[in-house]
Amino acid sequence: MNWRGELNKFLASTYKNWIISKRNVFTLFELFFWPIMGLLTIGLLTRFLNIGSNTVSFLLVGSIALTILQTSQMDVAYVLLFDMWSKSIKNTFIAPIKSYHLVFGALIFGVIRGTFVFGILVVVSNRLFGFDFLAGGITPVLIFLVGVYAMAAVIGITVCISILTFGQKADVAAWSLSGVVLLVSGIYYPVEVLPLALQALSRAIPLTYFLEYYRSVYIPGPHNIFLGALLAILYLVGGLMMFAWSIERARRTGIMLRLSE
Amino acid sequence: MSEISVKAIGIYKGYKSIFGKKTEVLKDISLEVKSDEIFGILGPNGSGKTTLISIFSTLIYPEKGSLRILDLDPRTKKDAIRRQINICTAKPNFPWSLTVRENLKHYAMLYGMYGSGLKKSVDKQIGAFELEEYRDIKFEDLSTGLKQRLSLAKAMLNSPRLLFLDEPTTGLDPEIAIKTRQLIRRVHRENDVSVILSTHYMPEAEMLCDRIAFLRHGQMVAQDTPQNLKNQLHLGERMILRYIGQVNIDEMEHIPGVMKVKAEPGKVEIVIDRMEENVDRIIKLFAGATIQNIEIKEPDLEDVFLELAR
Repeated sequence: MNWRGELNKFLASTYKNWIISKRNVFTLFELFFWPIMGLLTIGLLTRFLNIGSNTVSFLLVGSIALTILQTSQMDVAYVLLFDMWSKSIKNTFIAPIKSYHLVFGALIFGVIRGTFVFGILVVVSNRLFGFDFLAGGITPVLIFLVGVYAMAAVIGITVCISILTFGQKADVAAWSLSGVVLLVSGIYYPVEVLPLALQALSRAIPLTYFLEYYRSVYIPGPHNIFLGALLAILYLVGGLMMFAWSIERARRTGIMLRLSE
Repeated sequence: MSEISVKAIGIYKGYKSIFGKKTEVLKDISLEVKSDEIFGILGPNGSGKTTLISIFSTLIYPEKGSLRILDLDPRTKKDAIRRQINICTAKPNFPWSLTVRENLKHYAMLYGMYGSGLKKSVDKQIGAFELEEYRDIKFEDLSTGLKQRLSLAKAMLNSPRLLFLDEPTTGLDPEIAIKTRQLIRRVHRENDVSVILSTHYMPEAEMLCDRIAFLRHGQMVAQDTPQNLKNQLHLGERMILRYIGQVNIDEMEHIPGVMKVKAEPGKVEIVIDRMEENVDRIIKLFAGATIQNIEIKEPDLEDVFLELAR
């Protein structure tokens, strides 16, 4: 098969997610309402607490990162969730595709949506709270976004693995995994405030490093972006291997059929 | 000479519950399907038809047994097999909010089609299954019959050499079911595609299938052409006579070839083997009566099924 055919196997999931999203009125909530509400809540809280500009930037970076992460990870998870909800998983998995076609195809749409949300939040945070997301130049922003999208892919893959392993009810993982990340990766507070055991866990999450890296633009401090990048690559590769394995397992155990019933 | 599309020897599949209890779904299934035939898998609900089709289509894997699909080993050549097969499932389901055209485009992309080839293939299937009028209708708004046609269209997108149809007319109105059967026959004839079809509707199998395998409780109980199955099981023909007067029913049971006699006032139903050799002797027994009507029925697959299910 030539490269265009191979590319289309990726784009098939992008296309499906795009059509489903554009026909769903709640997409507007995902793109505008919830992100802006989240940012306003945090922004107004910083005003009420009358905290310094460093802390404001700390919290706004965290809020924006969380919003993009949630938006993009859902798109990766949707690649299987849409099939599961419409009971059409059989039709997808009888086609000659690999796990990475599904994940990266869905991630393309996740990145597009995430970047759109990011753009809105950058404008809103700048106009309402005077926070300049581009203060450190474009490179830190790009590195930060790559880290967030890699983390979104890892969470989305984990949701897909859960569905194929535990069946339909595992879709609750789609909504709760980013909550765990919120708790331990230093979204709204430095990881140093966590109990020691959770600090160790936070050091195993790539997003922690990407947040520290980006915040160091505003609040100079140590960061280890290379370790974050290494962890992100490791998790992505490991996640894809686990996803491929869970597809094969679902074929062995018959979960593949039950998900279509 | 026709090639072999599916060769299965000793296929076994069981499922384990979370408490470790094992349910055997398929036991020691062996069969061969030729490339130029429509092969039927028949059996009651829960007999393992869908599981067997799912194994042949590489959706799930068998626990034991040897399997070759299109002369390829599904353990090592999954993608090569998947490129050449497709499936139309019992209850057709596709992403709800995608239209007919969008659904076909999505699945064509999953098969690695692109550019004008993709467009041509989608348009061809829309035309072949008379979906032009509905191309921009969302899946969730289609009738059951149209959903089934979309499912068949999707199954033909990659011009498969081997097509699996899992209870393709279940839940359809009789009129739509007849149309669907005509479509299946046409697809088989015009596209030179080998078809494996599961059904629990016997007339459908009789109408479409060159050969048939009967499953019961996960085991194969018979496999042959519909005619041979009827012959092998010595089901005999059914003769129903309506009459006025007196007839010696007891004597009828002793005529050679008579397998069963069921009598009620004015009517007798006789199951008889080699009717042409024995019909005279039966008629002679009605000498003292007036025959009003004679009805002769050949055994159908329903009879085969009932016999095998005993």
